[in-house]
Amino acid sequence: MSTSERIKAIQKMPGTMKKKREIRFVSLSSFALQSFRRFGNSLSEYFHLLPLGHKTLKIIGANFGTSVLSYFIFLKWLLAFNFFSFVINFSFITVPQLVAAEPNNLSFTGLELFTGAGYFQETVLYYGFYSNATISKTENGPSYNMQLAYIFTVGIYFVICFLILLFSMAKSFCRNFINPQIHSGIASKLLCIWDFNITNEKAVKLKQKNISMQIKVQNTGEVLNFSATERVVRIVIHLVCWVASLGTAVAACAGVYFLSINNLKEVVKGHKNDLESQAAMLVLPIVASVLNTFMPFFYSWLGHLERFQTPGHQIYVTITRNIILKISIVGILCYYWLNIVAASESQCWETLVGQDIYRLVLVDFIFCLLGSFFGEFLRRIIGTIVCVNLGLPEFDIGRNVLDLIYAQTLTWVGILFSPLLPGIQMISFSIVFYVKKVSLMMNCQPPRKVWRTAQMTTSFMFLLFFPSFLGVLSVIGVTIWRLKPSEECGPFRGLSSMYDAVSEWIKILENYTASKWVVWIYHNLITSELFFFILSVVVLIITYLYWQITEGRKTVIKLLQKQITNEGKEKRLLLEKLWELQRKTENPSMPRGQGQQVSLIVQVLLFQLRAWYDFMGFL
Amino acid sequence: MLHIGSVKRCLVTHLKLHIGVRSSYAGYCIKALFFSKRWEFDGLHGRYHEMAPNVVPMDYTKDPDVKLPMQLIINMPELKENPFRERIVESFSEDGEGSLSFNDFVDMFSVLSEMAPRELKAIYAFKIYDFNTDNFICKSDLEKTLNKLTREELTAEEITLVCEKVIEEADMDGDGKLGFADFENMISKAPDFLRDLLKTTMTLFFHTLIKLST
Repeated sequence: MSTSERIKAIQKMPGTMKKKREIRFVSLSSFALQSFRRFGNSLSEYFHLLPLGHKTLKIIGANFGTSVLSYFIFLKWLLAFNFFSFVINFSFITVPQLVAAEPNNLSFTGLELFTGAGYFQETVLYYGFYSNATISKTENGPSYNMQLAYIFTVGIYFVICFLILLFSMAKSFCRNFINPQIHSGIASKLLCIWDFNITNEKAVKLKQKNISMQIKVQNTGEVLNFSATERVVRIVIHLVCWVASLGTAVAACAGVYFLSINNLKEVVKGHKNDLESQAAMLVLPIVASVLNTFMPFFYSWLGHLERFQTPGHQIYVTITRNIILKISIVGILCYYWLNIVAASESQCWETLVGQDIYRLVLVDFIFCLLGSFFGEFLRRIIGTIVCVNLGLPEFDIGRNVLDLIYAQTLTWVGILFSPLLPGIQMISFSIVFYVKKVSLMMNCQPPRKVWRTAQMTTSFMFLLFFPSFLGVLSVIGVTIWRLKPSEECGPFRGLSSMYDAVSEWIKILENYTASKWVVWIYHNLITSELFFFILSVVVLIITYLYWQITEGRKTVIKLLQKQITNEGKEKRLLLEKLWELQRKTENPSMPRGQGQQVSLIVQVLLFQLRAWYDFMGFL
Repeated sequence: MLHIGSVKRCLVTHLKLHIGVRSSYAGYCIKALFFSKRWEFDGLHGRYHEMAPNVVPMDYTKDPDVKLPMQLIINMPELKENPFRERIVESFSEDGEGSLSFNDFVDMFSVLSEMAPRELKAIYAFKIYDFNTDNFICKSDLEKTLNKLTREELTAEEITLVCEKVIEEADMDGDGKLGFADFENMISKAPDFLRDLLKTTMTLFFHTLIKLST
């Protein structure tokens, strides 16, 4: 059949428009497009056959449900992200430096793996090793300016990260956004709650119990009304718990700050390389990780103390408190690095910061593994053998995702000071994936609490972007624009700020006529405030326009819903009238002529009804 | 070993004779067959065959009319623990009794896979919840759904209360039961249901089968 005949045949077939469009697509797709798509699909198929692949995720989803699966998908996404960071940094910064590397005179002892100092100090791991020279393999051959390469690689990498995060967050928002005006009542809950993924009998039973509890709570929850004194008592309890959690966060930050100042004094004062001083360097990271591990339990206990109205409320508040703790610890550490370490009299402050971050990342990784061992393995043994009432542990999704976000924030802060850090983080994330998966399968039971996966995934993306990434951007911004790089090491030695490398390069370019356009762009677009002001105004106008369009569409939706209700009422009215008329025609007391008239009217009404039905079905 | 040409012919005939909702997705499968490797299709046919090795032939050249009864299908590991397994199998069976031919089997797992379009999934979700197959989700359908979801832990008054609330909330045209339009409206408020929850963990290579065809 020719194309047009095929289209006509499809149009004649029964079925809705959408199915016909599908069939048309199937039969008319071009061969070339299909073979291209096939190639892309087989490539992605081989990527999925990697060990971190599809099958593992499907097994986890089948046994524990979609909520636990979202953690592993997030971890896999972060792993891919770190791989991308590592590849960029390695190829543009490290490889050229390796080509022109100076020999390393220090000796390697095993302790360097933990402290990051010693032998590693004179390797490509840290900022201090990179030269500020222009590297060229042969005389008069192609040259590679390390200064510009360093700053441009880091800058462009952060711009690409920003765009990737922005688009992922927007896509996630778009897919999972639920209109807050329409109360998610019981209907959508009932019809959309069942997770068809689960194939594990115990998980199914747990989910059913969960659903029945939810329905019972919903039925009784509306009757709950507090008296005035009870409300006051609840508000006071809430306030006290918030003060307690914020107070402990502040205390933790103060502790970390004073410990780190102490640490710096030790490092600057003596350069003894014996075991004691090396171990002393590890105290700060261990304290920070201990605080990060044990404070969340305190916050969960506080959460149990306050009796929240819904369990969802409790989860949100606990996660918020954890975020405040972690962000303040990272914040105080950044303040310490940028204000104290940068102004200290040490030889190479950037390398010191890089070493600090390396130690923090490593100790955090070790604590993650230990937490898995104690939190899940030992807890299972306690729960099944010693104290059977406790039962199996559950996989705490919120705490684990926040740990991941914390680790990723540290990596981002450290990229400027230690370019190979994403590679280290990549290895650590892979090991964490396997350990968590094995621990989950062996030790945990499916979650009992309610976990609205779609919304939580969007919130975690948002958390990764908003406090985490933007905070890191401000730290990097301050470092590049305000701080003076060390005199004796690193690619920016001798300059008054790292950004001066770019301004000096522009000054050099001004002498060449061929690159005048680059200079023009630099002076009029990148460094001019007027341009950014105009850009912001344009973005605000576009945002306002989109907002108005959204409001307009909401009104249209309301109107259409009213219309549907009215059509339904009309339909019922017409049907009633029809039945009345039919009864009248069956009434033998009616004269013949009138009876025929009435049956004609009935037929016309039926025809109209059928036309209306088709119209509604077409909608 | 299965002769792929015979299966292709069988499904092409099926497509010509029964163009409709289910076979439009079989069309996707047919496209895959023309380009896929033998082992992928063997895998799916292998699963169908291993449920009743004496009945299901390895050779589909003569277009055999073989149907497996519902009892065998609902004991598959992917469906065994699902409380809606009987309804799922009934929605995909052509005779409405629950016995699936191989084409119906392919349809079922293709709609329940990740790659199926949203509209198709919504139609089948509606069919699954419509226990008395009258194209409306009425109060008795909702009561049965609720019983399956909660393993009969709720009392009769609670069940009636919940079902009345659901109909009150979801029924837009006021006929006392949920039509397909009402159901779709409800589903749009939970966007992750069709995408993430309404699928089964079928074997990896079936996923590849659908990917190759789109």
